[in-house]
Amino acid sequence: MRAWRPALRQGMILLQALVNGLVSGTLLAVPAIGFTAMFAVLRFPNFSVSGVATLGAFAGYLAYGAGLQMAGSLAVAFAVAGAAGLLFDKVAHLPLVKQGALPAAIASIATGLVLENVVRLGFGNEPRGYDRPIARDIYLGEIRVSPQQLETMALALALMLAVFAALAFTRIGKAMRASADNPELAALKGIRPERIAMMASFVGMGLVGVGGMLLGLDSSIDPLTGTRILLSIFAAAVLGGLGSAPGAVLGAFLIGVAEELSVLVVGSQYRAAVGFVAILIVLSLRPRGLLGERAF
Amino acid sequence: MKRIHIGRRAALAGGVAAFASPAVLRAQSDPIKLATLTPLTGAGGSYGPTMAKVAASVVEEVNKAGGVLGRKVVLVSEDDQTSPEPAVRAARKLIDVDKVVAIMGTWASSVTTAVAPLCWESKTFLCTVSGADSITQLPHQGFLIRTQPNSTLQVSRVGEFILSLGAKKVFTMIPQTPFTQATFDILNAVLPKGGATHQSLIYDDKKTTYRTEVDQALRASPDVILANGYTPDSIVLLKDLYRAGFKGKILGFAYSINQKLIDQIGQPEVVEGVYTFAPSPAEGSAAYEKVKAAVGSANPDPYTCQVYDHTNMVLMSMAFAKDASGTAIKDNIRKVTQGGGKTVDNAVDGIKAIAAGEKIDYTGASGPCDFDDKGDILDCKFRYEQIKSGKFTVVKIA
Repeated sequence: MRAWRPALRQGMILLQALVNGLVSGTLLAVPAIGFTAMFAVLRFPNFSVSGVATLGAFAGYLAYGAGLQMAGSLAVAFAVAGAAGLLFDKVAHLPLVKQGALPAAIASIATGLVLENVVRLGFGNEPRGYDRPIARDIYLGEIRVSPQQLETMALALALMLAVFAALAFTRIGKAMRASADNPELAALKGIRPERIAMMASFVGMGLVGVGGMLLGLDSSIDPLTGTRILLSIFAAAVLGGLGSAPGAVLGAFLIGVAEELSVLVVGSQYRAAVGFVAILIVLSLRPRGLLGERAF
Repeated sequence: MKRIHIGRRAALAGGVAAFASPAVLRAQSDPIKLATLTPLTGAGGSYGPTMAKVAASVVEEVNKAGGVLGRKVVLVSEDDQTSPEPAVRAARKLIDVDKVVAIMGTWASSVTTAVAPLCWESKTFLCTVSGADSITQLPHQGFLIRTQPNSTLQVSRVGEFILSLGAKKVFTMIPQTPFTQATFDILNAVLPKGGATHQSLIYDDKKTTYRTEVDQALRASPDVILANGYTPDSIVLLKDLYRAGFKGKILGFAYSINQKLIDQIGQPEVVEGVYTFAPSPAEGSAAYEKVKAAVGSANPDPYTCQVYDHTNMVLMSMAFAKDASGTAIKDNIRKVTQGGGKTVDNAVDGIKAIAAGEKIDYTGASGPCDFDDKGDILDCKFRYEQIKSGKFTVVKIA
C-alpha cells in the first residue's frame, strides 16, 4: 500500500464535503440575503422567516403542481412570501419597532409560528415533494454532483445576481441602500421611508420564500421546513455582518461548508452547534460581522 | 316503610361535613379524566390524530354503556409536538389543571422519557408506545407500561432479519434518539455472530441534504444500509442514497418508511426493494376490527391499535379496583390483562364481566397485552415487508 493513497482519499472526501457545502451554501444565501436586507432597512431581526420560508415553499409547490415551470413557480413563491411578509410587517412588526428591535423580534417569532400553523392547517403534517425526477449523480473524477442540485444552484445564483444588479443599478435599489445607510439623510433627499420599508419587507421575504422553495426542491417540504433552516439563515447573516448583503452570501457559504465539514470532524448530530458556535465567535470577536454592517 | 327523620341539627352537620369533607368524597360524581398525549404535529404528526381518535371512540362506547364506577369518563387530548419540551408543558397541564388519572399514547421515546417523571411523581399512570429500552428502566415505580416491544427485542429481530438477507457489511444511519446507542450495541453484538460487520453514523434529522453523510457511509462499501430515522429525514436520506448510486439493500422501520414516504418521493425506483419492519398488530382479531371501524381505515397502524388497548386496559383496571386513580391503575392493570380468565377485547365487555365477579384477561388489537414487572410487553409478532413497484408486499409475519 502506498503511503499517499489514504491521504489522497482523505483529500477527496474533504473536497467532496467542500463541494456539498458550497451547494447548500448557495441555497442558504438566498434567504440570508432577504433576512439581512430586511434588517438593514427595518432594523430588527425578523424571525418570521421560518414561517415565510415554509409558506413560500408551499406556494411554489402548489404552483409547480398546477403545471407552472420552475421559474414561474419560484415567482409565485416570491410573490406569496413577499405579500405575507409585507402584511405581517405592517400589522405586527413595524408598529413595535418604535419600542425597540426586541419587541418586534419577539413578535416576529410569534408570526412565524402563526404562519407555520396556518400551513399545517391547510396541508397537514405530511412531508410533500415537488414532483421532480430524481436523477443519479454525475461523477467528475472522484467528485459527484447532482444534476438537480446544479440546476437549483444555477437558479439561486441567477437570482442573487439579479438582486445585486437591482441594488446597484436601479433607482429603487439605490434608494434602499441609501435608506439603510442613513435613513435621515435619505429622507431629506426625498426618499420616502415607508415605501422603502414596504419594499424591503416584500423583496426580503420574497427571497426568503424562494429560499424555502429552493431548499425544499431537493428534499421535501412540511410545516417545519422553515424552522429547520432558521438558525442557519440567522447564523449566515450574523457571520457576514447583519445588514450586509455580500456578507450574507459569504456567511451562507461559510456556514454551508462548515456544516458539511463538521460531519467529517465531529459528526452530523452536532450540526446545530455549528450555527451557534459561529454566532458565538463572531459576536465575541467581531460583533459587526466579517464584512461589517455596511449595507450592500 | 321506615320513616327517616332528619333533624335540623343533623342536616346542618351533614351539610357541613359534605363541604368540609375531602375532595375525594365529593368527586364520586365528577367525571373520571383520562388523557392522550400524542404527536398531533412534528415528525410523528401523521400518527397522533388517529391515536387520539381511537381513544375517544373507546371512551364514548364505555360512557354509552354507563361509564366506569357509575361515573362518566372524559378524555382530554393534547399535542406533544413530537418534542420533549412542549410535551412536558402539555403533561403539566394535564396533571395539574385537568387532574387526569392516566396519560396514554406518548410516541417518541424522547417525549416519553421527559414526561415519565412528571407522571410517577404525581401518581399518574402512563401508557406509551415508545420503544427505547431506557424507558422501562426509569424508576417509574410501576406507573408506566408500554405496548411497543422494546428496542432490544426489535433491534435483535432486525439484526436477525438482516443476516437472513445474507449481509456481510452493514451500515446504520440513524438520528440522535434515546434508542440510538442501544441500537448500535445490539447490532454490534448480533451481526458479528452471523458473520457480518457493522459500522454506523449518527446524523442530524433537521438537515436538508445528507450527501456528505451518504459519502461517509459508502466509504465502508456496505451491502445493507439500515436507514433508521423518521419519515421526513428518511425521505431525504433515501433520495440521496439513490442519487449516490447505492446498489445494496436498504432496510428501515415501517413507522418511517411508509406509504406517505413512497408517495412523497414519487419515483418508485428510488425505493424499489426497500425492506421494512414493524411490530405487527393482531390482524384479524375482533379488537383489530373494532379499531378499523373506529378510525375508518382498512389498515390501522400499530400505534393506533396500541392506544386502543391503553384506553381499554386503563378503564378496566379502574373498574376492577373500584377506584379511579393512577395508583389503582398501577396496582390492578396486570389483574385484568393477564393470568387467565374470561378473554375480553373491549372495556365494555370487560367492565360487565368485572361487575359480574368474573376474572378477565384482556387481549387487544396490538396483541396479547401481557406485561412484565418493568412494564415491557412479553410477546409480540413482527411484520416484514418489501416495496415492489411502489407497493408494500408482505415478506413474512413472524
